[in-house]
Amino acid sequence: MIQTQNLEKVYRTDEIHTTALNKVNLEVKAGEFVAVMGPSGCGKSTLLNLLGLLDDPDAGSLVFNGTEVAHFSERQRADLRKSSIGFVFQSFNLIDELTVFENVELPLIYLGVKNPERRRRVEEVLEKVQITHRMNHYPQQLSGGQQQRVAVARAVVNQPPLILADEPTGNLDSSNGNEVMDLLSELNRQGTTIIMVTHSEHDARYSHRIIRMLDGQTIMTEVTADQAQVTLA
Amino acid sequence: MFQNYFKIAYRNLLRHKGFSFINIAGLALGLTACLLLGLFVYDELQYDKFLPEGERVYRVYNNVQSEESTDQIACVPPMFGTTLKEDFPEVETMLRIIMQPWEGQSLVEAGDKKMYEKGGLVSDPTFFQVFPLKFIYGSPEKVLDDPASVVISDKFSDRVFGTADPVGKKITIDKESYLVKGVFESNPKFHLPVNFVVNIARMQLEPERMKSWGWQQFYTYVKLKKGADPALLLSKFQAETRKQIDEETHQPFKYTPALQPLREVHLYSASFKYDQSIRGNITYVKALSVIALFILVIACFNFVNLATAKSLQRAKEVGVRKTIGASRGQLMLQFLGETLLLTFISVVFAAALTSLLLPSLNAFTEKEMAFNIFSSPGLLLLLLGLLLVVGILAGLYPAVVLANFKPVSVLKGGLAITNGPGKTPWLRHSLIVLQFSLSVFLIICAVVVYQQVSFLHNKDLGFNKDQIMFFEMRGDNMYKNYETFKTELLKNPNVASVSIGYGFPGDATAGDGIYITKNGERVSHSVTHLMVDYDYINTLGLKLVAGRGLSKEFPTDKDAAFVINETAVKELGFGTPQKALGQKMEWKMWAEKDTIKKGEVVGVVKDFHFKSLFDKMDPTILQIFPGANWKVAVKMKSSNVAGGIAHVKNVWDGFSPEYPIEYKFMDDNFEVMYKSEDKLKTLLWIFTGMAIFVGCLGLFGLAAYAAERRKKEIGIRKILGAETSSIVSLLSKEFLKLVLIAALIAMPLAWFAMRKWLEDFAYRIDIPLWVFGAAVILAGVVAFLTVSYQALRAATLNPVKNLRMD
Repeated sequence: MIQTQNLEKVYRTDEIHTTALNKVNLEVKAGEFVAVMGPSGCGKSTLLNLLGLLDDPDAGSLVFNGTEVAHFSERQRADLRKSSIGFVFQSFNLIDELTVFENVELPLIYLGVKNPERRRRVEEVLEKVQITHRMNHYPQQLSGGQQQRVAVARAVVNQPPLILADEPTGNLDSSNGNEVMDLLSELNRQGTTIIMVTHSEHDARYSHRIIRMLDGQTIMTEVTADQAQVTLA
Repeated sequence: MFQNYFKIAYRNLLRHKGFSFINIAGLALGLTACLLLGLFVYDELQYDKFLPEGERVYRVYNNVQSEESTDQIACVPPMFGTTLKEDFPEVETMLRIIMQPWEGQSLVEAGDKKMYEKGGLVSDPTFFQVFPLKFIYGSPEKVLDDPASVVISDKFSDRVFGTADPVGKKITIDKESYLVKGVFESNPKFHLPVNFVVNIARMQLEPERMKSWGWQQFYTYVKLKKGADPALLLSKFQAETRKQIDEETHQPFKYTPALQPLREVHLYSASFKYDQSIRGNITYVKALSVIALFILVIACFNFVNLATAKSLQRAKEVGVRKTIGASRGQLMLQFLGETLLLTFISVVFAAALTSLLLPSLNAFTEKEMAFNIFSSPGLLLLLLGLLLVVGILAGLYPAVVLANFKPVSVLKGGLAITNGPGKTPWLRHSLIVLQFSLSVFLIICAVVVYQQVSFLHNKDLGFNKDQIMFFEMRGDNMYKNYETFKTELLKNPNVASVSIGYGFPGDATAGDGIYITKNGERVSHSVTHLMVDYDYINTLGLKLVAGRGLSKEFPTDKDAAFVINETAVKELGFGTPQKALGQKMEWKMWAEKDTIKKGEVVGVVKDFHFKSLFDKMDPTILQIFPGANWKVAVKMKSSNVAGGIAHVKNVWDGFSPEYPIEYKFMDDNFEVMYKSEDKLKTLLWIFTGMAIFVGCLGLFGLAAYAAERRKKEIGIRKILGAETSSIVSLLSKEFLKLVLIAALIAMPLAWFAMRKWLEDFAYRIDIPLWVFGAAVILAGVVAFLTVSYQALRAATLNPVKNLRMD
């Protein structure tokens, strides 16, 4: 589903150039659940932003479902995001002025889905993440776990083939964190590809494969669970 | 999608009540100011536009070139009209209206009704061809051809005849009988204050006089044929007038005629002399338009400033929306939509506020402006236009800024949104500077206008205008026996003195030539003539600087003495007041043909301002000429003015019981001279106040934002030992610096604008330097008070709380 070749990202200020990603080569197949790990500042979030077309690479290639997307225009990227990618963030990033229902409904609005269909799909996904009873509440009225479940619901409501999760349990206690991870695993089992950045070894064990990064480069890929196989990147 | 935008906009509005209030209040006030001033300006621009084919009508006036300036005189000689009509085929119709030598009050009698009425015009019978006013009764066709006919306005008709059709009824005007032939609809947008029109033939002016090229007594209008070129006509006519010889000076005609489009008469005649039309002032109309624009711009800037300052709070939302697929265009549309919603609410408030305040503005400006959006689709369209213009003006930039946020940056916590340390938010600061420049500019203008208007009202005019009752004599008995009338008036102990003549301060005066001998040659000078009696100087308290006043003790004073003012001493070349005494003068007397009055200067009075301070002092001659004993000034003793008035009324009734007395006090004449300036002063204060208030609303919001943004810094500073005062100064300093820059920009501009304005006055203040200092201090204090409230709030918060929140 995703291939990168020599992907690079450099952050520039007036005086300092920081190489956040340095020639990263990566392939993620459809249906995979991949965790990206590494110390703070190693470039994992930058990688996720590039994969999610939230940021432009400075060099290299990024292929999504067979199409080179590295140099897509802003509009093309927006179109691809709304149709194919769902995002889950550490800080939930729900819109405070919208209710749970309205937050989840938002991607469908941008996709142009008509109202009866929109309502059906929102209710269905809220049911799936077990938050229907709170659908008329505002984000501030929910616990962290509930907010993240809403964020997951919003990420999957338009049934994207890919979910990018940036430390989805970072702001949650272990019980709520496990709930969210179970939810992501379930989605993966139903066929959604998931790429997740995490600091947590516990959460990483939910994935099929862990990519370890250091100083902007992928240094190792290890297969989790029963495959117990380690390869050097 | 739009429902979603609306929902977010509405909820944001409620969530950030303070900011919403500042934005809505600022915009609503700005729009209200704009609407009110806009209505005023629109109304002023409507004069004479209702007249069909008015674009072909021109008023003929004269330019008089003096050494210092060019004066415009609204009246022209009768031969202008005659020549234009007879010799210039471009002219379709010509109309002359004779200037009334008095205030135009006529005694009107119909049945048992008896009243004084203003607005009587004596005109050529072509009046309704040139000014096709709408007729309610009768027909405009040949309506004035009969010299005994009168056409009256509907309002006049209501007062005299009630609601009945008055056509065919008789009416007496100044004891002459007329037949009502028609009733026209009064229009407040007609430049002539007219209640009735009679045929000039009724005055039975000598045909010889109507052939004069020097008798500047007629308001003259021409209606050109379709396609005629007014510029060409004027140049031909100017050439024609140059051929004429002034019968008094026996020199080539010195006036240059000019044409003024009818629709410019109201606004572009402020400086015209002897103009009796309803006049506005284009300078004031322009100034008020600029002020309206200023206030609106200040309100829009508030919005831009607050929206960009607050953008951090919306950044996350932008990030989320972009992440899930919103395009830049969709986001811009959303934020622009929010501004439009806010503007819409402001427009609604502004419309309500305008409706509420318009009656007061109408009363203040003596206008009948209407503001009804439901009955006027044009107005509704205008509001819609205003909504779009203001909405887009205020909302576009913030929308672009917000829509350009990079989701990666904003979702990570605001990177690249706020200005980093040491970086200046140039746009925000520039807008504050601009706002305060406008405010300081307006403050300076308001103070200077106030100073000048106070100067106009309080300047020593060189005579005492207090407690002088003033009226025009009426009836043959009074005119013929004016000396007895005067003696009777003086019999009451409350009457200090009485003067009868023509040419009292604040009233009409006459301009005419005077002949003197210079280097053995007889030369003519144009001077103002005040026809006085022996008590004029005493009644007005004029000061003699040389010689003596006119006195009964000198029998020759009646026919051979002149008193002149200091300006006449200078302009006639006499050197000093002392040297002026004994100088010979000649005056071609009025009425009696070729009668020359010969006399000499017996006294010189100190210059006194008998006209408004717009006009420079004229060389003036005081002389006895009983033929012009038309007006009476009665100086009362301050102890019992009411008793004095009662006595005057009694004496009046003894002489002319058939005429009711109409009087006023001389100081009132001077009050009305500066009516427009008084109004400008008040409007300027009100709208300057509004501009400052709106600007401060924005500053208040920005200060709140700055205090919020710097909470952490304030917390750390406090922990390190900073005192409240140093924190307040830290936050206020930034804004005060901007106010100072604003003042530096505004001061020269205001100085320039005010100097231009003051040039219209012959007598004016020098712009005092302290005005600039005061304006800066005022703006600074207001800004400091606005900011320090927020600064103080931030400085007194618990620092631990501030740091914990970070």
